[in-house]
Amino acid sequence: MKIKQILMATALTLAPLGAAAECSIEGTGEVNVISNFFEALEVLSNEMKNCGNDNLIIDTKLTTDHKEETNKAFAAATSPFDAAAVANSSITLLQAKGQLRPLNDLVEKYRDEYNIEDGMLIKFGDEVAAIAFMVNAQHLFFRKDIFEEHGVAVPSTWDELLDAGEKLKAAGIEHPYGAAFGNSWELANEYVNLLLANGGTLFDPATSDSTFETPEAIEALKMMGELYKLMSPNAMSMDFGDVKRQLQQGDVAMAILWGNEASAMDDEKESTVVGKVGFAAAPAMTAGGAPASTFWWDGYVIPKNLDGDPDLTFQVLMHAMREETVKANNDITLWIRSAYEPGEYTSAITDTVVNGAPPYPMNPQASLAHGALGENIADFIVGKESAEESLADATKAYRSAAQEQGLLK
Amino acid sequence: MKRSTFISFVAPSVMSMLILIALPLVAIVYLALYQSYTQMEIKEVKTEVPLFGGMTREVIRNVPQPVMDDAGNPIQVWEYVGTQNLKNAIDTEGLSSAFNADQNINSTRSFIRALFDEIRDVDFWSALEFTLIYTFLTTPIIIILGFGLALATNRLTERLRGPVVFVTLLPMIVTPVVSSLAVYWLFVDGGVIAASLEAMGIGKFYFLADQFTIRAVIVAYGVWYAAPFAFIILYAGLQTVPEEPIEAAIVDGASPWQRVRYIVIPHLTPLFSVIALIHIMDSYRVFEPILVFGSRVFANSVQYLTYYTLVFEDNIHKASAYAILTVLGVVVLLIPIMIRTFKDQKAGK
Repeated sequence: MKIKQILMATALTLAPLGAAAECSIEGTGEVNVISNFFEALEVLSNEMKNCGNDNLIIDTKLTTDHKEETNKAFAAATSPFDAAAVANSSITLLQAKGQLRPLNDLVEKYRDEYNIEDGMLIKFGDEVAAIAFMVNAQHLFFRKDIFEEHGVAVPSTWDELLDAGEKLKAAGIEHPYGAAFGNSWELANEYVNLLLANGGTLFDPATSDSTFETPEAIEALKMMGELYKLMSPNAMSMDFGDVKRQLQQGDVAMAILWGNEASAMDDEKESTVVGKVGFAAAPAMTAGGAPASTFWWDGYVIPKNLDGDPDLTFQVLMHAMREETVKANNDITLWIRSAYEPGEYTSAITDTVVNGAPPYPMNPQASLAHGALGENIADFIVGKESAEESLADATKAYRSAAQEQGLLK
Repeated sequence: MKRSTFISFVAPSVMSMLILIALPLVAIVYLALYQSYTQMEIKEVKTEVPLFGGMTREVIRNVPQPVMDDAGNPIQVWEYVGTQNLKNAIDTEGLSSAFNADQNINSTRSFIRALFDEIRDVDFWSALEFTLIYTFLTTPIIIILGFGLALATNRLTERLRGPVVFVTLLPMIVTPVVSSLAVYWLFVDGGVIAASLEAMGIGKFYFLADQFTIRAVIVAYGVWYAAPFAFIILYAGLQTVPEEPIEAAIVDGASPWQRVRYIVIPHLTPLFSVIALIHIMDSYRVFEPILVFGSRVFANSVQYLTYYTLVFEDNIHKASAYAILTVLGVVVLLIPIMIRTFKDQKAGK
């Protein structure tokens, strides 16, 4: 349901954000950057545009279709985009196909000028493939007032969350829980979170074959079925944006959302529950286990086939990601730079990660597995077939996709 | 006409037909016969993932890496696979195993059920199921509704006709994605219709919560969207109905219904065929409501599947296979109507 997001996004006014510091990059040419669409990327995109002048044309494209466009552009003879914002999962196929320009030389050249920190470098072996600027993780958002009124404790495991949901339901809250089940990628993401926290895996790294049909996987999927009972029956048609609005409009009492949306809960322009939403680490599958969430980085890559100047592109990116940007926009996300000051909106992300949530697997097999699961597990959740059958269908879809990508014989 | 004159007259049309119609068809057939990927091998690669505050987490993994040729470029594989993509799309393997499974199943009934389950599980067949339901439900409804609207509009006074025609055409003017979204927002939690039903004390309805209602909403949307098309064609056709036979029928004491049944409908028959023809082609390619409603577990379409395969699986070869299946499907559906039109034309001569 991307179209919805695009329409919503165009409806928003793109007010210039952040500090309009002067940019001293000298050069002639054009720099085109493509990225996803969310607040931190908007800030960075505006910072990049500040570097534009008569000789240097800077164009940024923010779209929720960025993944597809980036894949096509980087596979072409020359890419219309000189850089792209990627994350754990979207970098994998680009890297595995050898489409990314190693950034080691540029990092060395500009390390001091832009104070590039080691923590920002995404490395495959010795090769610097991307420069990251933020991390993100999904965690629990809950209504402090409702929890207090009904004497419900913040759940630390999924079983506790189910109990809390039942209690709230009995107290007259029709749909206590919300999560993005309506978009197949997001649905699979919710599932992968539960699966990994339950000790499951997506694939066998040695053979690239899938490992969907395990007792851990079935348990995790059955948990999805239980959660669906606490959600609006329309949930299979509601994507992340809808769930965020559900919580902002007071339709649900708790939800799993991306950490960088926390400050939006207190935005009076769009939220009716300002000051009432609390944040906590994602619940664990087993008491004392790791939170059922994965953490993600977002960063920029430069393709091998760019038509512009990599040196110039790199400078524009680094200018946008400099310390001043982080300081001026501290609260909008969890920046990686050490200049970042942790705040109330990001502590749940750090709790989730510190308590052991794993990074989302950076393998192309994981992306394929994610896609195959997203298209098949919904059949179980709505009660069309058993968990075992759904997972068997996903295995079949994965094997066919992996063979077509040349990963599986 | 001289042969050279004839050729220079038709050449532009033939050329544009070749470029715009024949070439894409040939291209999808060609693409569907091949498979392409970057050759990869699994290597042990140490990756580092940033946390925050300068911390990183080191992970060692087996990661597929590209195999390089002598010039240091990744090796691209482009191999001929014949009908493999088509077979994967319709899942011939799964189908034959479902057919051969009958040794274990005693009754015909349970055999059919097993077969149906298998069919419903494959993306293509489940998409085809709803595509056909949508096509066969909307086609008669839009013809009947469009005809009724045309008859009613035709009885209005001259002054009212213009505004009525304009308002009736509005659903066709709105971009399908936008109107799909409008319909989606009517039915989602807290949407106008859902909220009104609740306010009227009828209770809470979740239109997007199960197969039947979501399909009903999509079909209703399709009717709303396409009925104006049938209406405008039939309304134009009504203007050509000759006066004399109608007057003669009135003199003979024919009822209004008899006049419609024995004079108007036969006169408009070719138009009904045209509407059916075009609407079947259109509705077989139903896409926007599926994209917007998002609930593909309940309703999918062949066109959406092609889009999904191309965009999300990034597999142009399998997407081409689905495109071929779409073309074939449309052709099969249109054959009866074409034969009929052909016969009518012959009889007319």
